[in-house]
Amino acid sequence: MKRKIGVYVCECGPNIAEKVDIDKVIEAISSDKDVAVIKKFKLLCSADGKKFLEEEIKKQDLTHLVIAACSPKDHEKTFMEVSEKAGLNPYLFQLANIREQCAWITEDKDEATKKAIRLIRAAIGRVRYHSSLEKKEIDSNPDVLVIGGGIAGIEASLQLARPNRKVYLVEKAPELGGLVTNFEKNFLSMKPLSEIINGKIEEINTNENIKVFTNSEVDEAVGFFGNFEIKVKRTDAEDEPVQFDVGAVVIAIGSTLFDSKKLPEYGYGTLNNVITSLEFEKMNKSGKISLKNGKPPKSVAIIHCVGRKEKGYCSEICCMYSIKFAKYLTDKIPSVKVSNLYSDLCIPGKTNQKLYEQAKGKNVNFIRFSDAEITKSKDQLSVKYKDENGSKTNLIVDMVILAPAVEPAVDASKIAEITGIYQGDEGFFEEEHEKINPISTSTEGIYIVGCAQGPKNISETLVQSEAAAGKILSSLVPGRKIEPEVKTSEISEALCIGCKTCLSICSYGAITFDESKKISVVNEVICRGCGNCVAACPSGAASIKHFKFKQLYQEIREAIK
Amino acid sequence: MSKLKGAIVAAKPSVEKTIIGMLEKSMKKGVFDAVIIPMRAPSGDSFAYVLVKDKSLLKDATPLPPTMFVQGAKAVSSVTRLGKGKIKIAAVMRPCEVRATVELAKLGQANLENMTIISMDCPGVLPSSDFLKYPEKNIKLFNEAAKKLDDKMMRPLCQICDKSSMVSGDLHIGTLGAKKDTFFLISNSTKGDDAANKLGINLKDNIDSWQTKVKTFSDEKKKKRKKAHKELKAKVGGIDNLVETFSHCINCHNCMRVCPVCICRLCYFDSDKVKHSAEDYLERAESKGSIRFLPDTTLFQMGRMMHMSISCVSCGACEDACSMSIPVGQIFSMIADETQALFDYVSGKNLDEPIPLVAYKEEELLEVEDSDD
Amino acid sequence: MTKSLKINKSTEQGVLELLKYLLENKKVKAVFTLKKIEKKGAVAYSLIADVKDLQDAVPFYPLMPVNAGNLLSRFTLKGSPDELVAAVVKPCELRGFVELIKREQGSLENLLIISSTCGGVYPTKFGVDGTVEKNLSKYWDAVKKGEIPDGSRPTCRSCEEFAPYVADITVDMLGKNDLDKQCMMFLNTKKAEEIAKGFKGDFSDKQMDSKKLDKAREKRGIEKKKLFDEIDKKMNGIDGLIEIFGKCISCHGCSKVCPICYCVLCEFESSDSEYGPSNFETELRKRPGLRVPPGTLYFHLGRLTHISISCVACGACDDVCPSDIPVAMVFKKVSESVQKMFDYIPGKNVDEKIPLITFKKDEFKEFEG
Repeated sequence: MKRKIGVYVCECGPNIAEKVDIDKVIEAISSDKDVAVIKKFKLLCSADGKKFLEEEIKKQDLTHLVIAACSPKDHEKTFMEVSEKAGLNPYLFQLANIREQCAWITEDKDEATKKAIRLIRAAIGRVRYHSSLEKKEIDSNPDVLVIGGGIAGIEASLQLARPNRKVYLVEKAPELGGLVTNFEKNFLSMKPLSEIINGKIEEINTNENIKVFTNSEVDEAVGFFGNFEIKVKRTDAEDEPVQFDVGAVVIAIGSTLFDSKKLPEYGYGTLNNVITSLEFEKMNKSGKISLKNGKPPKSVAIIHCVGRKEKGYCSEICCMYSIKFAKYLTDKIPSVKVSNLYSDLCIPGKTNQKLYEQAKGKNVNFIRFSDAEITKSKDQLSVKYKDENGSKTNLIVDMVILAPAVEPAVDASKIAEITGIYQGDEGFFEEEHEKINPISTSTEGIYIVGCAQGPKNISETLVQSEAAAGKILSSLVPGRKIEPEVKTSEISEALCIGCKTCLSICSYGAITFDESKKISVVNEVICRGCGNCVAACPSGAASIKHFKFKQLYQEIREAIK
Repeated sequence: MSKLKGAIVAAKPSVEKTIIGMLEKSMKKGVFDAVIIPMRAPSGDSFAYVLVKDKSLLKDATPLPPTMFVQGAKAVSSVTRLGKGKIKIAAVMRPCEVRATVELAKLGQANLENMTIISMDCPGVLPSSDFLKYPEKNIKLFNEAAKKLDDKMMRPLCQICDKSSMVSGDLHIGTLGAKKDTFFLISNSTKGDDAANKLGINLKDNIDSWQTKVKTFSDEKKKKRKKAHKELKAKVGGIDNLVETFSHCINCHNCMRVCPVCICRLCYFDSDKVKHSAEDYLERAESKGSIRFLPDTTLFQMGRMMHMSISCVSCGACEDACSMSIPVGQIFSMIADETQALFDYVSGKNLDEPIPLVAYKEEELLEVEDSDD
Repeated sequence: MTKSLKINKSTEQGVLELLKYLLENKKVKAVFTLKKIEKKGAVAYSLIADVKDLQDAVPFYPLMPVNAGNLLSRFTLKGSPDELVAAVVKPCELRGFVELIKREQGSLENLLIISSTCGGVYPTKFGVDGTVEKNLSKYWDAVKKGEIPDGSRPTCRSCEEFAPYVADITVDMLGKNDLDKQCMMFLNTKKAEEIAKGFKGDFSDKQMDSKKLDKAREKRGIEKKKLFDEIDKKMNGIDGLIEIFGKCISCHGCSKVCPICYCVLCEFESSDSEYGPSNFETELRKRPGLRVPPGTLYFHLGRLTHISISCVACGACDDVCPSDIPVAMVFKKVSESVQKMFDYIPGKNVDEKIPLITFKKDEFKEFEG
């Protein structure tokens, strides 16, 4: 079929016209091969301009369209829409930027005109080899995946499920609840937590909108906002992974504690009756606080800030729960003497100071310390430390409770890799902006809540979970359509040799390997058209629509002829 | 680096016959169901890799033939590219062929799960064109030269090879430093250990004399290599010399097709991307006065080098296949040394080491970054 | 009736003069011919646009580094030139090009084809080691007498199609005993006549002396019989073929340099020709061993099946083979038999379709039941 390329030069009234001699341009190009018509117009992006273009496309029976005007960032979309309206596939069009890249960068009219001619010829050279491409449209999926069944994940799930969104809640452990199931009370109100948490778990189990996977892990999560393809597999069985699609992902995998064995001076793991805060919570919840010999301790040292120097950040919650521990102890063992050793005391918030004041008393001492070392002292423990003034002091106690730093969950790296989000230097997931976008990530549609995002207490966690639910409910609306990228990669089945170089290069997880054919295959819906695979493929089996070698080669050739 | 284990094995009446005897025994005991090993072609003028199922064929096998007609990695790849199969196969090849096989495994072109790779200290290999002149005579000359470690007749690349005893497979026959009528059977993996065990060979002997001799030999070769590279660089360095060196090249692409690590089904330089219209070619001719037709001979060479240099095992198959006697192997090998050194990478040494092209290190190649960063 | 053009210079000089005239007067945009390139004495086909570069041209150098049929196909595959381009090629290269044109792999449009009655070429390796240069005078002596130059390609020694069919201009060469003093060109087409107008030379109606060509053909026919007998002895059934191709390393160089092998991705290199583990295991149940990679001989038989109808016996395959297998003679022998069955001479007539796609109702009755 014979090509009929229509070339339209915009005066951009007069941004372009005052530098580029458009008549000269028209004269030079009108006899070029395949150019059926070349005209100028005052302002092509105006309503008149668009009407003019639409009429021209139809009247001149154009097969391709070249517009010489402003930056594609400005009006490529505009002219593509005009094209489509006129019945010409919008991809059979090329925009030559003779404004930002020509008229606006020189005062020399001669040079500007010459360059404009080159740029337009390059666009013509390219457009000759354009192919029609069809838009794809898929429904956005309104469902949500919540990874982690602790308090953060539970709260997010409930907030989402109440207005009838479908939620998939995946939890690694055999049961929901996470860390908070180990706490008897929370430190602010000192009210029992189990009622609250059990109530929420009950609600989850009875809500038809929430599908719970326990003993399970997310194996794969590829895609983009509105269309994530998820695979979940069991940790305790070899079953086939369960597959489903969601539109958003909430990551609530919580945290773990710094390994106190890394600081041998604290004697954890080597000395009896040196325990971590989590171990103490569990002991307290079980009903009996006792030493290894079964007797209740008469004196306890609670050491704050374990591992703080090593980790380089304050874990925010330890001082508060250490104060809570002092309260647990004095409430349950009336004569006990408690010493809270801290390197810095952190009691933020409008009500926490009160608890601190209440806890301090005749049997609870708050001591600033440095350089602690715990050794055995007959049946007891000797806590040697330097006090505020630097003098060496020795404290003999029955039990030592360590408050280790809060660390990211063990699975953080794995989840980061699977979802493609980033971890910060400390290993917690990186928020999009720590001040103004603290629960979004660099990937639209993936949110991080709770301690997975950074150490925090329960109320802050609940705030984040509700925020994530709110964001999802408002932006992921059922019935919304998504238009995946049109200019995607394609891999020739005949030419692919199966070396998998492109697979390791793809940042979007859009390439999979077909084991039976031994070739790489592109998922057109997930592919973003970045072109990395095309660059990496040594034989050229991979190519990108709308950026084919022929198109680029001809464009360059015309530009530098 | 895996700790190599070895055993001293009696090699009577000859190393070759003992190896064959061991392979026969291992097939009998079911350690292997088949063996890929070179055999003399019926025409007598060449050797070919044969996948042997019937162990009685083994008596005609030649573990160390005088020519490397087809790069062994290609033979192994043709059998296992599409999967590992059910049968256990042993493959007997030269160290550079083993290395190429390992690279191919990394590129998804060979599945080594059911393969046990056996190599040996390599004395080099004759250029095939020399061999073909007098096949019978050359077999004898090769065997004699191999015994004396005399490499004057071997491929130019073999003469400067410092990796002729590299162990990257499962088992290795070490002849260097071995006492008369013995060789070392060296294991580099659990697969190798397993095979040796099943043959009743106890891998508990001291292999120091092999390792020492290997190091001495390799160091000598390294010196030779450095000197040869210096001379070669002077000859082919710079765009003018390079174009001159490849002036006889007729773009037959033999080098590319015999290369074990050139795996593309349709080479970029055979694809539509290098096919232009008459007008494009005429424009080029006009701008230069005249152009060679087809143009871009050196571009093909440099492009191929860029694509495969990181995996080049310096076997010299390319040079043997060149119809115009261009020292393409020596040039590619020299540059491959430098490419791989940039990434601290030795191609084919370790199956677990990913090819640098797909291995990301945040801190790398700082010397080529802007100083302002 | 064909016109002829005589120039009182050596044959090579005369042709170069004509080419110079055509370029200088913009009658052609460029000239495609053999040229000395670089300093090492390499000779390669070149596309010459500037008349200055013609001085290194050696149009009739007895070397065929690449079959120019391949090159002309590549030149015109993605679009013919807008203006005339002159191309000096050898008869078998021209025939190869014509066979490619029949398969839509090129076009004669805007090409001025200049060929000659060819005396043959040397194997390409003689171009690398300086043998050709040393033997140049001996070569031309033999050509003058219509004899077979010593050491030329076996396919050239046995070539009976040394006169071009489709050329616009045929340069008198083989058997012309005053090659070094006179240049005689036959203008076969209107195109050639038009383009040569204005050139300073002796135009006449002199025709090609077919007698000297017949004599030369006879000599080559005898050589052909000898070479065919030799190869016939070796091609003794499957066993014979296994012997001949035993040292084949499956490099497929023969296919790549062959003008008729034009497939972008050869069937024998595609995934269709790959075998999975179950194929190998099945084969091993039937035989004690299996050469790997498999399909060495299969490739050649397959290629023969695909191209023998059009093989022009140029001998490029021989030269590129790293194992010195006499591929060309095997292919020439088989191809001639195949072509005889269809009364077909490859490259003779551009409009004659290849037998594969022509249907004749009455054909091969001897094979019918």
